[in-house]
Amino acid sequence: MRLMAVVIKELIQLKRDPRSLVMIAMIPLIVMLLFGVGYGGGMGKISVAVVNLDKESLSWTVLDSIMKTPSVYVKAYANSIEEGRELVKNGIVSAAVVIPEGFTTELMRGASTQVLVIVDESITTISSTIRNAMLAVTYKFQQELVRSVQGSSVELIYSSVYGPKVTNLEAFTPLVIGIVLQLVPTSLISIAICKEKERGTFEQLIMSPISRFDIIFGKLLAFFIATIADMLITLMVAVWIFDVSMRGPLIDAMIISTLFLLGSLGLGMLISVLSKNQLQANQAAIFIFIPALLFSGALMPIEMLSPSARILANLTPMYYFVSAFRDIMIKGFGLWQITWQMFALLVYMALMMVSAPLVLRLRVD
Amino acid sequence: MEYAIEISGLTKKFGNFVAVDNLDLRVKVGEIFGFLGPNGAGKTTTIRMMCGLMRQTKGSIKIYGYSIPEERNELIKITGYMAQRFSLYEDLSVYENMEFFGKLYGLNGKNLENRILELLEFLDLKDVRRRLAGRLSGGMKQRLALGVALIHRPKLLVLDEPTAGVDPPIRRAFWEYLRGLNKEGTTILVTTHYMDEAENCDRIGLMNRGRLIAEGTPKELKRRVFGGDIVEVVLHGYVQEGTLEGVANLKELAYRDGDTVLRVVLKDASRELPALLRRIDGMGLKIISAEPINVTLEEVFIELVTGRIEKVAL
Ligand SMILES: Nc1ncnc2c1ncn2[C@@H]1O[C@H](COP(=O)(O)OP(=O)(O)O)[C@@H](O)[C@H]1O
Ligand SMILES: [Mg+2]
Repeated sequence: MRLMAVVIKELIQLKRDPRSLVMIAMIPLIVMLLFGVGYGGGMGKISVAVVNLDKESLSWTVLDSIMKTPSVYVKAYANSIEEGRELVKNGIVSAAVVIPEGFTTELMRGASTQVLVIVDESITTISSTIRNAMLAVTYKFQQELVRSVQGSSVELIYSSVYGPKVTNLEAFTPLVIGIVLQLVPTSLISIAICKEKERGTFEQLIMSPISRFDIIFGKLLAFFIATIADMLITLMVAVWIFDVSMRGPLIDAMIISTLFLLGSLGLGMLISVLSKNQLQANQAAIFIFIPALLFSGALMPIEMLSPSARILANLTPMYYFVSAFRDIMIKGFGLWQITWQMFALLVYMALMMVSAPLVLRLRVD
Repeated sequence: MEYAIEISGLTKKFGNFVAVDNLDLRVKVGEIFGFLGPNGAGKTTTIRMMCGLMRQTKGSIKIYGYSIPEERNELIKITGYMAQRFSLYEDLSVYENMEFFGKLYGLNGKNLENRILELLEFLDLKDVRRRLAGRLSGGMKQRLALGVALIHRPKLLVLDEPTAGVDPPIRRAFWEYLRGLNKEGTTILVTTHYMDEAENCDRIGLMNRGRLIAEGTPKELKRRVFGGDIVEVVLHGYVQEGTLEGVANLKELAYRDGDTVLRVVLKDASRELPALLRRIDGMGLKIISAEPINVTLEEVFIELVTGRIEKVAL
């Protein structure tokens, strides 16, 4: 069978190419370990969301001093108390700070006002860090305020929420797995066709009775066999080394990862068919990776993006993968509860798989 | 007459540049046809169009009756192809390369194995069958490429500069293989820019700047270009050029060591030479020697492209 002949040939070539082997085995480990060191062990900053209902001068001063606090960082902005509470509840941030409407006016009048802090109490070390940080912020703010306005004061009130008990490391795990499952397969396979064109082997290949489908799917299958290891490595590192607790079924996480991996391979294959040479293909693979990262929804919740950016995010496969994986890992969902993301990923995969053979021409001009 | 290749009005333009210009060509079944011409003449472009690897701008191509590019799938089954540049997988071994292409042609199991062993034997590659193709010498790479082209026992072999860049003894050996295959009935189209190799061909086409400027057997071509065979006659003493007016069709006259060296053109030397010598003898001139000159195709080509003869009848 011709397809199998291509699969075997590709696997032999992969086996003899040290660069590819390093890429398959080392990149996932390196990326995972970098994140592990950066966000593991209770180190790193705690994420907060800010709900600024005042938007007057003094509210910006408070916001500014929150940003300057070393132990926290502002990950998101929400427009209502409810939105802020949702973010905490879903484990996207560890706390939400609500600056009430009329905050500046009240203080200027010399009255006192309240800042609401919605804290995730599920991890005590994190909630106490937040409390300490907010105390420091308000104390410093008051010191400055008292100099100009007599009698005014800021009071902190807390509202407790029980989030899904997500460690920082866990919060990043879906993204890290997404990065590995896009970056490695896409760049690996992106040179598959243009390498043959560059080396001249394509000319001999297409003088044999081979079809476009044999070429494309033979290569896809071979690279799938090789990169399935990446899916296993990343999941194993996450579960055993990062110690993330997989609340949903592991098999479902594997299925969704496999789906995304296949999409990445299809994407890389499309890049390969369209590129003139290996350099161009490599650049395209990296270039496409950047928006995928930005719109993944993991660095910044998609709800916080501008409407146009939100549309882009909705077109980013990585966004669906990260959100699906998150739902399985943190909310304990099964596949039937993430059918929408599954569907989006299936469409993505199908599109990629179909377009590469349609674009490939069996000619040398 | 059955033709393996019939091309008419074939044209290829790259933008404004005409790489192949209104080319007509016929190759008979069972022939070795040599496609000659300097680099950039358009040989590779012609071959690529013939094999459906590149679309022609204009013109029709028929290979064993199949129209190209429409019936390319049929062409592939009967054609073995060797590209100008080595185009096998350098990171696969000799055996693996042959095995891969064999499988693409639908061979498998014992059949495939036997065919590969047969070819390795024929091409003297048995000892290096486990070596990576990238580590082979130039001559071995060329034989391996021929082996891959032959794996499915093609009726037609299309070889684009198979001997470029290898040493003359290896080139000669390679032509032995080609002649052997041809004897068994394989039609061969081969391009080269080594004019001396063309003597091995049944017929040749000379190509320059996208045009076929001459076509025929090597012998015919030489005769057409120079108007016949050339014979060198050495006469004793100094003979004036005018003396031989009307006696011989003189091409050149020179003096060497006190003797006169004539280059005479004869339609067919084997038949006309004795009569010529009798005429010269009859004039009282003393003939020291007389022998036909072996004109090289190189000279033919130069004669043609320097424009002394615009186009030889095709
Ligand atoms: N893909 C291409 N694009 C533009 N010009 C080309 C292309 N391929 C060949 N040529 C030009 O066409 C001419 C004929 O080239 P080629 O067929 O390779 O000649 P040959 O094989 O006889 O050396 C050359 O001048 C070459 O530069
Ligand atoms: Mg050429």
